[in-house]
Amino acid sequence: MIKRLLILAVLFSVSGPFFSFAAQAANLKPVEGKVAAPSLVLKDLQGKSHDLKEYKGQVVLVQFWATYCGPCRQEMPSMNKMMKKMGDIPFKILAVDMGESEAEVKQFVSEVKPEFTILMDEDGKSIGDWRVFAAPSNFIIGPEGNIRYTLFGGVEWDSEELVEKLKAVAKK
Amino acid sequence: MMNLKAVFLTLTLFVLASAVQAKEIKTIETDEADIEVRVFPAEGHVLLLGFPCDEGKSIAEEKTAASLAEDGIEVWMPDMLSGFMLPKVRSSLAGIATDTLISVIDEAVKTGKQVYLIASGPDTALILRAASQWEASEKEPLSGMILMFPRLFKETPVPGKIPEYVNSVGKTRLPIMLLEGGRTPNRWGINTLSQELQKSGSKVIAKVIPKVRGYFFKRQDANRSEDVVTSQMAGLIKVSLFYLEEEKRND
Repeated sequence: MIKRLLILAVLFSVSGPFFSFAAQAANLKPVEGKVAAPSLVLKDLQGKSHDLKEYKGQVVLVQFWATYCGPCRQEMPSMNKMMKKMGDIPFKILAVDMGESEAEVKQFVSEVKPEFTILMDEDGKSIGDWRVFAAPSNFIIGPEGNIRYTLFGGVEWDSEELVEKLKAVAKK
Repeated sequence: MMNLKAVFLTLTLFVLASAVQAKEIKTIETDEADIEVRVFPAEGHVLLLGFPCDEGKSIAEEKTAASLAEDGIEVWMPDMLSGFMLPKVRSSLAGIATDTLISVIDEAVKTGKQVYLIASGPDTALILRAASQWEASEKEPLSGMILMFPRLFKETPVPGKIPEYVNSVGKTRLPIMLLEGGRTPNRWGINTLSQELQKSGSKVIAKVIPKVRGYFFKRQDANRSEDVVTSQMAGLIKVSLFYLEEEKRND
């Protein structure tokens, strides 16, 4: 009996962080009214320029992240899976690194293998424009270019609940 | 014959013992609690009063304090948490009476030295609170304060919105040196925080320390940059005091 309790205790302590991570899936905060997304024009790791305006008509997840941010590293595999779950819905992830060097980000990318667009913002201008004070900070942009939801913290992006909410953004 | 490892160990113990010997314990009795203060005495005219709130476990801070004392800067480290029998959690800060902080500052001011306050992380709220009450009582002015990677958000910031800060932000006129790590999202908030702190008339100097995270000197998993900066923390504080003294002179 004691052995079973010990096993349960170990399982509980190991799974604790996962539960608290996944429990944030409902933390999407709807944005009241029509709030246009600020400008975002940045280069990716290959030097190609991306302008958020070019993605009008798609749902866009703009994420501000950093290599030293534990939750950012933890949630990226679920972002890869989420892209697949979005199916035919026009959807794009623009993940803006918060002011780090290309070498640091490339090292991170080789380890974590994000399958979405990583944008570089070494001088941090967009961080100020978007009023970002913590990482990861997420903005869900609707097809019309308005911010529909915000979300702070690491989540399991491929959870059914989140995927359904993002699909609904495309329909509205 | 002693091998190299034994010599190194003996030297290390000697160095650690010297640092410990430099420390004195002083107890300040107040109406609310008896506060034990680790004092690193020095002959100079500056006294640095830190509120570590760590139940006496601040190894890096003690080494820094010993080093500062050697350079003539007296350091006092009151242990407020133990005085109030509070655990080391953020909510404990609210349980520390401002009057007790004032009593500790009072004792420091009695030395006749220029008193500067220093704290890190959420503890910075404590010295901001103490400074504003000190000023309200129109006592002899303090000289300034150093906020190391201050964590002063009232709540987790919502993406896209200017964050709200705890009530003690923007209530003191003291010159402030704000130090933030380069490897933390908080570095992107230092301008906003500086503006809030300036609202009450403080002059704020903000500096980013490259390649270190917040709480760098408390980390078990410190990287090489963090180890180096921790070992040079006394220098960092002396530079901060220099800037604050310059501010005071230009005032």
